[in-house]
Amino acid sequence: MPAAPGVPAAPGVSGVSDTRVMPADAAVWTRGLTKEYGPRRVVDHLDLFVPAGALSGFVGPNGAGKSTTLRMLLGLVRPSAGEAFVLGEPVTSPEDYLDRTGAMIEGPTFHPGLSGRRNLEQLALLRGVGRGSGLGHRRRARRERIDEVLAQVGLAGRADDRFGTYSLGMKQRLGIAAALLPRPKLLILDEPTNGLDPAGIREIRTLLRDLAGTGMTIFVSSHLLSEVEQICDHLVMIRSGRMLFQGHVADLLAAEDPRILMVPERDDDAERLAAVLGSAGLRTEIEMADEARSLPTLVERHPVVVAHAPDGLAAGINRLAMRAGITLRSIRTHRPNLEETFLRATGDVDGDLTMRGGAT
Amino acid sequence: MINSFRSEWVPLLRPRFLFGTVAAVAAVAALGAMLTIFSAGSTDFDGDPVTVAMLAAPSGISEGLEAVTILLGVVALSVTAATLAGEYSRGTLRNQLVAQPHRLRLLAGKVLALAVFVVGVVLAAAVVAVALSFALAPVKGIPTDQWASLSGLAALGKSLVNVSLGSLGYAVVGALAAVVLRSPAAAIAVGLAYALPVEMLVSRIYSPAAGWLPMHLMEVFSVGGTGYATPYQQAGLRVGVFCAVAALLTALMFRRRDVTA
Repeated sequence: MPAAPGVPAAPGVSGVSDTRVMPADAAVWTRGLTKEYGPRRVVDHLDLFVPAGALSGFVGPNGAGKSTTLRMLLGLVRPSAGEAFVLGEPVTSPEDYLDRTGAMIEGPTFHPGLSGRRNLEQLALLRGVGRGSGLGHRRRARRERIDEVLAQVGLAGRADDRFGTYSLGMKQRLGIAAALLPRPKLLILDEPTNGLDPAGIREIRTLLRDLAGTGMTIFVSSHLLSEVEQICDHLVMIRSGRMLFQGHVADLLAAEDPRILMVPERDDDAERLAAVLGSAGLRTEIEMADEARSLPTLVERHPVVVAHAPDGLAAGINRLAMRAGITLRSIRTHRPNLEETFLRATGDVDGDLTMRGGAT
Repeated sequence: MINSFRSEWVPLLRPRFLFGTVAAVAAVAALGAMLTIFSAGSTDFDGDPVTVAMLAAPSGISEGLEAVTILLGVVALSVTAATLAGEYSRGTLRNQLVAQPHRLRLLAGKVLALAVFVVGVVLAAAVVAVALSFALAPVKGIPTDQWASLSGLAALGKSLVNVSLGSLGYAVVGALAAVVLRSPAAAIAVGLAYALPVEMLVSRIYSPAAGWLPMHLMEVFSVGGTGYATPYQQAGLRVGVFCAVAALLTALMFRRRDVTA
C-alpha cells in the first residue's frame, strides 16, 4: 500500500508518491529529501507531506533521521539531494518562511546566565517583534508579546529567574514560548514534553490542541507514542531515514488486527468456545495467560481464547458463548495501540520509546 | 542586521560578563600604567632606557595604555571567540538562525556589536590607564602639563585608534577560530597559542618573518610602529589584508556550514 499524502500505508512498507506536484494544502512537502554525511545516509529519499492545519506527529527510533529532517526543514542543514518546501517556499530560501515558523529543535537552548525573559527578549529583537510601530510602542509590543507567550506556557512566575536555575520542564516551556514568539503558522517541536511531569505533559498537550484549534500547523516529534496517539491526527513514521508510514493515526490503527480476549469460567471450556467461535467464522486461538513467565507463580493461570474480531462483535460473541452453555470469567477487547504498531513496523525495540500507561 | 546587532547586546550586557570583562581590562590597564610610570629612570621590557623626559612628552599620556596592547588584544580575542563559539556549543545559534535565517546579516550584526564592545573595552582601559598615569606621575616627578595639551590629547586620540584597531585585529582572529572550531575553549586556546608562542617562536627562529606575522603586525600597528622594523603604514596595510582574508573565510564558513550542534 502506498504512503502517499493522506493515504495510510501498511507499516513496514516504504511510501512512494507518484505525484511530483506539491498539494495546495501542504505545510511541509518534500520529494526525495536526502542527507548524507560522507558515506552515511542519514535521511534517505524522504517524501514527506504535512497537511496545513493538522497536528502531525513525527516518530521514529533514535537515529532514524528525525532531527536531521527537521534541521533541513529549518534551513540549518543543507540537503544532499531532493527538494523540500515549507509553507510553499523552498528550504533553500529559509528567510522566505521562517518568519512564519516557530521551532524548538533538540531541546531548549538558551544563555544560562540570562533570565527566561531576557532570553526571549533577545530572540524577539532578532525577529523584529513589534516592528512597524514607533520605538516606545515597539518596546511595549515586544514586552506584551513576551508576557503573552510566557503566560501561555505557564512560566510567567519564574520569567525573571536565570535560565540556568530552571528545571528541565521549565526549560522545555521556555523553548516552546520562544517558538511561539512570531505567532507562527507552522510550529515545529522536537520532543516538547521531554522532562515534564504528568501534569506538565497534560498542560502541553492541551496547549498544542488549543494552538492546533487556531488553525496553526504543528509538526511534533516525540518518543512518547501515547502522547502522539492522543493528540495527533496525522502521523509520519520513519526508520533509518526512510518513510515507514504517513497518514491519519486512526487509519494506521484501524489497519491493525483488533482482538477480543475471553477467559472461560471453566478451563475445560476453552477449546469448546474456540470451536463455537470458529464455526461462526471467526479466527481464534488459545493462549495461556501468564505463559510468558518461566518461573513458578502463585497467580492462577487460565486459558485465554483470542478471537480476531472488532470490538463491536463482543456482545454477539458473549451471546454465542452463553447459548453454548459457556460462562465467561472475563471478556475484553484489545486494539493494538501506536506503540505496538510502531514496534511492529520498525521491527525493533527502542529503549527510549515509552508508552505511558501500558497497553490494554 | 540592525535586529541582530541589537539582540547581540542582550548577552553582552549581562552583568557578570560585562563587569568581569571591564574588571579584567581595568586591572590590565592599571598594571600597564603602574609599570610604565615606575619604569622611569630604568629600562623597559626590551632593555631600552626609559627617562622622565620621554614620559613627560605629549605621547607619554598613552604609554601606559600602549604597554598592554597585547593583553588587550588577548581580551578581545577571548571575548569574541567565547561569544561566537559559545553560540555553537550551547546550541543557541540554531535558535538565532531560525529567528534570523539570513546568515550573513546575523553574523554582521553580531560582529558589529562585538566590535563596538571591544572598542568600549579599550576605552575603559584607556580611562583607567590615563587616570592612573596622572595620579602616579608626581611620585616619579614626571610633569604632566604636556599630556593635557592639545598635542597630548591628539597623541592619546591616535593611540586610542591604533590600540582599538589592533584589538579588533585580534578579535577577527578570535572570530575565525570560533567559526572553525565551534568550541569556546578550543577557539581561545588555539587563537592564543597562535598569537603568542607560535608567532614568537617563528620570529625568533627566522626574524625576517616578523614583518609578515599577523599578530606581530597588529602589535606594531597598535603602538604606532614605534620601536619596530616594520613601518606603521606597511604594518597597517598588511594587517588590513590579513583581517580581510580572515573575515572573508569567517563569513564563508558561517554561511556554508551545516549547524549540527
